[in-house]
Amino acid sequence: MYNYRKVTDDLYWVGADDHRLSLFENIHPLYHGVSYNAYVLLDEKSVLFDTADWAVGRQFIENVAAVLDGRPLDFMVINHVEPDHAASIGEILLRWPDVKIITTAKAVLILRQFGFAIDQTEIIEVDEGDTFSFGAHEVAFVKAPMVHWPEAMVTYDTTNGVLFSADAFGSFRSLDGKIFADEHDFAIDWIDDARRYYTNIVGKYGPQVMALLNKASGLNIRYICPLHGPVWRKDINYILDKYIHWATYDPEEQGVMIVYASMYGNTENAAEILAAKLAERGVTNTRLYDVSGTHVSYLISDLFKYSHLVLASVTYNLGIFPPMHNFLTDMQSLNLQNRKVAIIENGSWAIRSGTLMKQQIEKLKHMEFIGDTVTMASGPQTQTVPELELLADAIAASFTAEE
Amino acid sequence: MMFQTTPAHEELRARIRAFAEAEIKPIAFSLDQENKFPREQVEMLGQMGLMGIPYEKEYEGAGLDVLSYAIAVEELSRVDGGAGVILSAHTSLGTYPIAAFGNAEQKAKYLPDLCSGRKIGAFGLTEPNAGSDAGGTETTAVDMGDYYLLNGTKIFITNGGEADTYVVFAVTTPGIGTRGISALIVEKGWDGFTFEEHYDKLGIRSSATCQLNFNDVHVPKENLLGREGMGFKIAMSTLDGGRIGIASQALGIAQGAYEEALAYSKERIQFGKPICQQQSIAFKLADMATKLRTARLLIYSAAELKQEHAPYGMEAAMAKMYASDIARDVTDEALQIFGGSGYLKGMAVERFYRDAKITMIYEGTNEVQRVVISSYILGKAAKEEKRPAGPAVPKYGETGPRKKMILKDGTAAEKVDKLVAALTAEGIDFSVGIPADTPIVEAERVVSAGQGIGSRENMKLIEDLAAAAGAAIGSSRPVAETLKYVPIDRFVGMSGQKFRGNLYIACGISGAIQHLKGIKDASVIVAVNINPNAPIFKNCDYGIVGDVNEILPLLTAALDTGEKAPAPPMVKLKRDIPAEKLPPRKLYICNGCGYEYDLLKGDPEGGAAPGVPFEGLPAEWTCPHCGESKDGFIDIEV
Repeated sequence: MYNYRKVTDDLYWVGADDHRLSLFENIHPLYHGVSYNAYVLLDEKSVLFDTADWAVGRQFIENVAAVLDGRPLDFMVINHVEPDHAASIGEILLRWPDVKIITTAKAVLILRQFGFAIDQTEIIEVDEGDTFSFGAHEVAFVKAPMVHWPEAMVTYDTTNGVLFSADAFGSFRSLDGKIFADEHDFAIDWIDDARRYYTNIVGKYGPQVMALLNKASGLNIRYICPLHGPVWRKDINYILDKYIHWATYDPEEQGVMIVYASMYGNTENAAEILAAKLAERGVTNTRLYDVSGTHVSYLISDLFKYSHLVLASVTYNLGIFPPMHNFLTDMQSLNLQNRKVAIIENGSWAIRSGTLMKQQIEKLKHMEFIGDTVTMASGPQTQTVPELELLADAIAASFTAEE
Repeated sequence: MMFQTTPAHEELRARIRAFAEAEIKPIAFSLDQENKFPREQVEMLGQMGLMGIPYEKEYEGAGLDVLSYAIAVEELSRVDGGAGVILSAHTSLGTYPIAAFGNAEQKAKYLPDLCSGRKIGAFGLTEPNAGSDAGGTETTAVDMGDYYLLNGTKIFITNGGEADTYVVFAVTTPGIGTRGISALIVEKGWDGFTFEEHYDKLGIRSSATCQLNFNDVHVPKENLLGREGMGFKIAMSTLDGGRIGIASQALGIAQGAYEEALAYSKERIQFGKPICQQQSIAFKLADMATKLRTARLLIYSAAELKQEHAPYGMEAAMAKMYASDIARDVTDEALQIFGGSGYLKGMAVERFYRDAKITMIYEGTNEVQRVVISSYILGKAAKEEKRPAGPAVPKYGETGPRKKMILKDGTAAEKVDKLVAALTAEGIDFSVGIPADTPIVEAERVVSAGQGIGSRENMKLIEDLAAAAGAAIGSSRPVAETLKYVPIDRFVGMSGQKFRGNLYIACGISGAIQHLKGIKDASVIVAVNINPNAPIFKNCDYGIVGDVNEILPLLTAALDTGEKAPAPPMVKLKRDIPAEKLPPRKLYICNGCGYEYDLLKGDPEGGAAPGVPFEGLPAEWTCPHCGESKDGFIDIEV
C-alpha cells in the first residue's frame, strides 16, 4: 500500500524506509535503518526527483503511482546516480516510458556504465546555472561535484525555495513516518547518525562541500529535501552550522577522544589512567574507545566532533596494531584535519607503535602534537604514572588555552 | 599586425648605429687584440641615456620598451659583440633583479647610478660546480644577525671587475636545494670581495669576464633581494629576460657578419662577375637573410611579450637558442664567402666568427634552452630519484630531531674545546652541580657509562667527569645489570629510568633503541664513542669520535671549576630544533574525483616534477586519477 506525504504545496515525499539493511554501502553498520527519499512535483508537468534503492522499490513505485494518480510522469530529475538512489530508474522507465530524464553529462555517462537502459529515453543534459520550467515551478541546477560523487548536482525550486540537495544534508536512520526534522528531537536522536553519515560518506570532500554551501548561500532556501534522512523546513541554520564545522574540519566542541588498541588490557589500563587523570584536572568531556570493538565509522564520527585525540597502541609485528592502523588509514582517507593529538605507545621488546602512529598523523593537515609520547614496556610501570600525569597536564593546558 | 617596429624604434636604431659606427667600430679590432674594456665608450653610452633603456625615468632610466633595449644590444653587437654583451649584462642581469625584486630603498639606492651608467652592474650565479644546475651552488651566506657572511667563488662573470654592483646568489639554507638560495646585492670594494685576472677568451674580448672571490664578506641584511629562498626564482626570472639580450647580441653579430659578406660578395670578382652572382653564394646570402629575419622576429616577439607582461619565458629561450644557433651558421658562411681573406686577423668576419660562439653557451647553453622549451611544452621532467628505492628513510633518529654535530677531526684537545664551547653556548652553567646520586628522573644532568667504558677501574673516569660537570651518574642497562658497576636503579632506558633533564653525556654507549627511548626528552645529548658508526651519533646533538680513556680526562679538566655551587631548581632548556613544517601553499582539488595536486609532490607520472606549481602545468595536463582537465580543479590554502 502506498505511503506518501505532502512536503509543501505541489510537492510530495515518495520515499521509503529500509529497516533491514545492516551495512550501508556494505561497510557502515546500521542499527536504526535508513530512508531513501524521492520527491514528486505536480505542476503543469509532473516531475520525479531521484528514485530509490531497489530494496524499497515496491513501496517507492506504489508511492509515485499514487501521487500521480493516473497522470503521466513527464520528467525525472536525477541529482545523483549512486545505486541507492538510481536503482529504480529502470522500473520507472518501464512504467512511464515517455518520461524525460534531466541530469548532468557526467551522470549520463555513469548511468550507462551501470547498465541502465536509457538509450530510448530523451535526456536533457543540464549544466551549472541552467533553469527549467515545469509550469508554475521553475528550477535551477547547481553542480555539486564531489559531494560526494563527481556527477552530483542539486536542484533549487525558485518558486517555493525547495532545495533538492542530493546526498548533502543526508543522514542514517529511518524516518518512521516523521519526514520532517522538526517532527523529531533531531539534536538528541539524530545528530550522531547525521554526523556519522556525513563524516564517513562525504567527510573527505570538505572543500567541495564549502564550495557548494557558498553557492547556496545566495539562495532563499525554505526546504531542504535530501536523499536520506528528514526534510528540513525549520532551524535550517542548525544543520548548516554543523555542516560548516564538518566541512572546514573545525571541531564542534572541546573534548578528548581516547582510542586504545590493547591485547591484554595493559594499554587499556594506561588509557583508563589517563582518562582519570584528565577528570581530576576537570577535563570530563572525554570518550574512551576500544579500537578493536568499535566500528571505525563511529570513531571517525566522534573525531569530527571533538578537538583532541589520544591514540594508545600496542606494537604488533613491529607495526601498529592492525585495527588502530585501519583507523589511522581512514583518517587519511577522510581528510581529517586540525586536531590536537597525544600518543601512548606500548610494546614488550621493540616499541615502535608511537613513532609509526606519529608518522601517520603527520600525513594529515594542520595536526598538532600535545605533550611527550608516553612509552611503556609491556604496560604501565611505576614511572609511567607521572608521565601520564604530565600528558594530562599538557592536554588540560591546551584546553584552557583555547577557552 | 604588420610585425613592424615603430618609427621611434628605427630612430633609436639609427642613433645607436651612428654611435657604434663612429665610436666603436674603429677601435673594435684593437679592443679585441688587447683584451680591453671600452670604458670611455661605455661612459658615452651612459651619457646618451642607453644604460637603463627599459627602466623608469624616476630612476634615471630611459623609460623605453624592451624592444628598444633589444635593438640597442643588436646595434652595438653589429659592430662589436663584446660591446653588446657589456650593455646586455649590465641591463638585463645587473640591473633587472634590483628593478624587479628590489624594495623601495634598494631601488632608490642602486637604480639611478645603474640606469644612468654612472655605475656598471653584473650578475653572479655561475660557480665551478653550479652552472646549468644552480642547485649545486656552494657559495654561502650565513645569517649573522644584522649581516650575512658571504663566502665562495663565482666564475665567468661578465663585467666582472669593471662593474660596481653585483647581484650574487648564495645558499642561505643549506640542504634544501634551490629553495635555499638567496640573492644579495654586493658592492665592489667591500672587504673580502676580490677579483681574479680577466680570462683570455676566444671571442667577445672587449668585454671583461673574471672570477669573483668572497672571503668573509659582510653583506648588510638590507641588501637581501626579495626574501630568503627567493634567489633561484630571481635568477631564473632574470635569465628569462637576459635571454632576449643575448639573442639580440647573437643577432647583431650575425647581422654584422652578413652585411660584411654581402658587401664583399658584390665587390669580389671571379669568373668575370661578382661572386654574389654565383648561385652558390647567392643562395648562401638568401639563407643568411632568411635566418636573420626569423631570428629577429622571434626576438622582437619575445621582447614585446615581456613588455606586455605576458608569459615570455619559452619565447625568450626560443629566441636565444635560435638566434645563437644561426649566428654560428651566418658568421661561418660569412667567413666562407670571404674565403682566405676572412681567415686573417683584422677582418671583422674573423672576429664575428669567434664572437658568435659564446652566444650558444652563456645565459644557459643552447642545450639548456631546449630543456627549458621542452619543459614548457611537456611539463618538467620528473627528477631522478636520488635515494635508493625502498621504504623512506625516517627523518629523525629515535631521539627526535638533533643537531648531530659530530667532531671527528683534529686532536682530542681541539675536539674537547669545541664541545665545551658548544655546551656553554647552549646555556649550561658548569659552575653549579647536583649530587652524583640524584635520582635520574630528577637529575638536571647525567654522565652515563656504557660497556665501551671498559674495565671497572675506568668508572673513575665517569665519576670524575660527573663531578667536574656537576652531574649525576647513570649507565646503560648492561653496565648496571650485567657488569654491576652501578646500582640497578641507575640505568637509563625505556625499561629503566628516563632522563628528562638538560644535559646527557653518554660515554661508551652505543645507543640501542631501548636506551635511546630513555633519553629522547633530554635537551642536549652528548656522545663520546670510539665507533663513528655507533647509533648514538645519529641521536645526539654533539659527538666526539674518540677513545673514552683519552677524551674523558680532557673533558673533565676542561669542565672542572673546583667546588660546585648547588644547582638551582632545574629550568628545562628548550630544544631549539623545530619540527619541520611544510610551507603554506595552495592545493588544487579535482572536481572529478577529489585528487589533490600538491606542488611539493608534483605529478611525476604526468611529467610534473615536485616543485612545479599548478599554474605551471601544461594546458594539456589532466588529473592523473580521473582525467579531469585543469579547469575542473578548485584550490584551498593549507
